[in-house]
Amino acid sequence: MAEVVLSNVNKRYGAVHAVKDVNLTVNDEEFVALVGPSGCGKSTTLRMVAGLEAISGGTISIGGRVVNDLPPKDRDLAMVFQNYALYQHMTVYDNLAFGLRNRKVPEGTIGKEVDRAAGILGITDLLKRKPRQLSGGQQQRVALGRCIVRHPKVFLFDEPLSNLDANLRANMRVELKQLRERVPTTSIYVTHDQVEAMTLGDRVVVMRDGWVQQVGTPLEIYNEPRNLFVAGFMGSPPTNFIDVTVAESDGKLYAEAKNFRVRIPQNRDAALRPYVGRPVTLGIRPEHIVLGEPAPELEAGFDGGINVTEQLGSELLVGITAAGTEIMVSRIDPQQGLTLHESVRLSLNPTHLHFFDRDSEEAIV
Amino acid sequence: MTAATTTHGGSRTPGFFDALAPGGARALFFLSVTAVLFLFAFPVFWLVLTSLKPGWEVFYVHRSTEFTWGNYVDVLQEEIVLNAFINSFVIATAATILSLAVTVSSGYMLSRFRGPIANTWFGTIYLFRCIPYISWVLPLYFVTQWLGIFDSYLGLLLPHIAVHICFFSWIMKGFFDGIDPSMEHAALIDGCTRWGAFRRVALPSAIPGIAALAILCWLWTWNEFLFALILTSHNTPMITVVMAQFVHELGTEWNLMSATAVMTMGPALIITIFGQKYVIKGLRI
Repeated sequence: MAEVVLSNVNKRYGAVHAVKDVNLTVNDEEFVALVGPSGCGKSTTLRMVAGLEAISGGTISIGGRVVNDLPPKDRDLAMVFQNYALYQHMTVYDNLAFGLRNRKVPEGTIGKEVDRAAGILGITDLLKRKPRQLSGGQQQRVALGRCIVRHPKVFLFDEPLSNLDANLRANMRVELKQLRERVPTTSIYVTHDQVEAMTLGDRVVVMRDGWVQQVGTPLEIYNEPRNLFVAGFMGSPPTNFIDVTVAESDGKLYAEAKNFRVRIPQNRDAALRPYVGRPVTLGIRPEHIVLGEPAPELEAGFDGGINVTEQLGSELLVGITAAGTEIMVSRIDPQQGLTLHESVRLSLNPTHLHFFDRDSEEAIV
Repeated sequence: MTAATTTHGGSRTPGFFDALAPGGARALFFLSVTAVLFLFAFPVFWLVLTSLKPGWEVFYVHRSTEFTWGNYVDVLQEEIVLNAFINSFVIATAATILSLAVTVSSGYMLSRFRGPIANTWFGTIYLFRCIPYISWVLPLYFVTQWLGIFDSYLGLLLPHIAVHICFFSWIMKGFFDGIDPSMEHAALIDGCTRWGAFRRVALPSAIPGIAALAILCWLWTWNEFLFALILTSHNTPMITVVMAQFVHELGTEWNLMSATAVMTMGPALIITIFGQKYVIKGLRI
């Protein structure tokens, strides 16, 4: 078991700077999820840890040993690939045994280890088959088996569930979580799916354009996004953003826009007072807007017109035009009869307002 | 194919095939296939027929009733024909094995690596590929003379291998392009060196491609005429050239030439029949 430390890691492909000054410590037995849109550098970062990409700058160490110049085989890690990368010409047994045979493990021990891994993943019946005779889910289990059979220091996952259909993906997510409990190992998991990142990661690293945007527990990332990008990327439906101006009246601060005036809670006064008279971006998650009149003392109400409704059965999503922009409201009672173009009164939950600097896009805290 | 697309035409505008009577499209399809097949098969059929006729009947093949194995016996008694068969077989097999050794790794490099070495190699074989086949012959004649390998196995093998590398590296690249590189990455992580990942993972996965290429290489060299004609003489007769020598100043021995041709087709036919799956795969890329 080992911790993985990335210090000022950079990757350049000619003029393209793909990964920029990444600093990250993955603690022993911790599961860290790297999440971000396509091209954000998350897979490249993972491949640098694996040794499949050369590092242009900085250092990567595994278990206290700098591995920059070590080939992948000497880094003592295992990796699951998006397309499983099973050896098509070998049986499942040989796929699992391949890494052990390369390390000259006696055949008897290999047999035991393969049986153990196959037992954990429920693939004992498949050992004699070739990969092409397996379903996507089974192939993914074999790929996981290839990882756990060797007892490596680190597991690396490169979007392992994205080739599976939605149902299977949800099942495999649960299985991965259970596997973590049975085989606790330092893990780095790359995904573009925020649900996977939130549900699997002890900590989540959000990346964009090669930069790390924020590192934190799933709840920290969700509740305290450090910037506009993190607030918008994490969460579904995404955070609503309203362009407002900070105004002061009778010593109280308000966020104002067209047909929109909401009292800024007192505990945010200190942070927002320098912004009086200046435009800022107000972020509010769809579940933190409710239909109906707020308590008068909150001064958090505004009006909007219904644009679209999306019935999900468990909840109703409603798209509303308000404050000169389109906003989404979630967790509405699906039985509630709402008609299109109807005017509704809305109120914000004042404890969940996020404010972002318009220029730097950083959260104002 | 035509039949299938016509019958499942659905809502598109009725075309020529839809105007036919039921089953007409299918009939037309088979008629066309038969016509094309006839076009290719008839000369072969005529060749086989000629090879079974005595010399004086070769111009009356269509109405003669006499059949003989004599042509085959006569041809097989000719030492030059037997030597040519052996030479062609040895050259085709050796050229296939030696060129594959280079072509497989060359194709792999073209598929997987970028950088000055790979780019230079790419440029070189592309350049040679652009040169028309026939214009290689005269320079090669002088080069083999100069090197003292004219009319020898080596003098014929080396040009063949060079041509194979230039032409077939692309096919091999295509095969490797179709093999997921992450399999090799997994092998690297599983404890292989770069060479080990190529040898133990990429190469076994490419066996169908290599088989296809081996067949194409072998057939190419076996059937090749131009190099054989220019770069060999009495010491290394090749079957394609010997066959042509039945045309001489006293006339053309069609019956003997046909018998030799039929026998020459034999190995190629056998390979094509048994390796058909791989040949088609190779030609598709």
